Amino acid sequence: MTAPGNSPLGPPLSEPIAVTPWGNTWDQVRDELAGHGSAIVHAKLSDLEPELPAGQDLRTLLGRDWTRYMDLTHADVRNRYAASRMLLKYAAGAVLRGDPDDLELAYGPTGRPYLRGCDQIDISLSHTEDLLLVGLTTRGLIGVDAEWADRDMYDAGLGRHICTPYELILLAGMPAGEERNRGLVRLWTLKEAYSKAIGQGMQFRFTEFGFGPDGRPVRVQRPDGTPGTGDEWLFRTFVLKSGYCVSAAVYDAGFGPLRDPEITTMLDQDCVDAINEALDEEDD
Amino acid sequence: MDSLHGLMELVRDDLGVPLDIPGDADADLADLPGWDSLNLLRLVILLEENGHPVPVHRLLLARSLHEMYTLVKERR
Repeated sequence: MTAPGNSPLGPPLSEPIAVTPWGNTWDQVRDELAGHGSAIVHAKLSDLEPELPAGQDLRTLLGRDWTRYMDLTHADVRNRYAASRMLLKYAAGAVLRGDPDDLELAYGPTGRPYLRGCDQIDISLSHTEDLLLVGLTTRGLIGVDAEWADRDMYDAGLGRHICTPYELILLAGMPAGEERNRGLVRLWTLKEAYSKAIGQGMQFRFTEFGFGPDGRPVRVQRPDGTPGTGDEWLFRTFVLKSGYCVSAAVYDAGFGPLRDPEITTMLDQDCVDAINEALDEEDD
Repeated sequence: MDSLHGLMELVRDDLGVPLDIPGDADADLADLPGWDSLNLLRLVILLEENGHPVPVHRLLLARSLHEMYTLVKERR
């Protein structure tokens, strides 16, 4: 029996790792996943676009996403779509030690992506401007989101559509200008990440759940600022050197460390035990 | 903003989304370059300022600008 939030894993989430499909940082990603149960990777769209396969190779890489890809009419939207799927499949392929072409990306009823047949790992995808972002976890669920840290949100009046009353009070107490705007961007990305993790998107009204200030354990809060979730959820926000604000939400289902997520070797221990038991009975 | 054309101009000129008007009217929002969920919130505010308040959760149902315009008309 697992207990949510009871995982004996180490420090939860480290800085996002910069990757390219053929780069040399994938060992770091695997180490991160083995040590912490979660990893976030990011890449530049402009670095991946020249590496996109063409024709049948792209079709093979995209798998069932090929139809959706063909429906997209704008070249830059298509390229972003293909590049984000390529990054996601290479990231998953790296940690599962599988061929990216063999991994099948599927979508749940709310559009939440998952790797079909690979439930030892959960994934999340985000992209904005030149940034592509992928979250991976063996803990349970993950959601990631990114936004340009200086995107004008506060002065555009977006706060009242995004924040709880408690968050609006906290923001009003921050120094006006860049710091207050960045505070709102942080809240936005946290809410997007959390709603992606639970598969709700913006249908889960952003004014009905909130987050406290950074610099202390971040928890989901009710509109009045009282706690809404416990230790089973963890949240982190990073600002990348490239100027993007990145947030991640991870649900720890209490499965504990998964030392071997590899697609070719991973076996469910209960299943192994059952087979061994059956074989022992045959021997008797 | 009393027509689909007007709504598309609002999105193009005020939100900076490079639209083909009227060619992109029925395009999936995910297929519009530069469109994202923050633009949707900014559009909610612009519609309010233009006297056409539509709740965010209603506008989330729309898959295209044409569908958004239909929602705006329904709430007049």
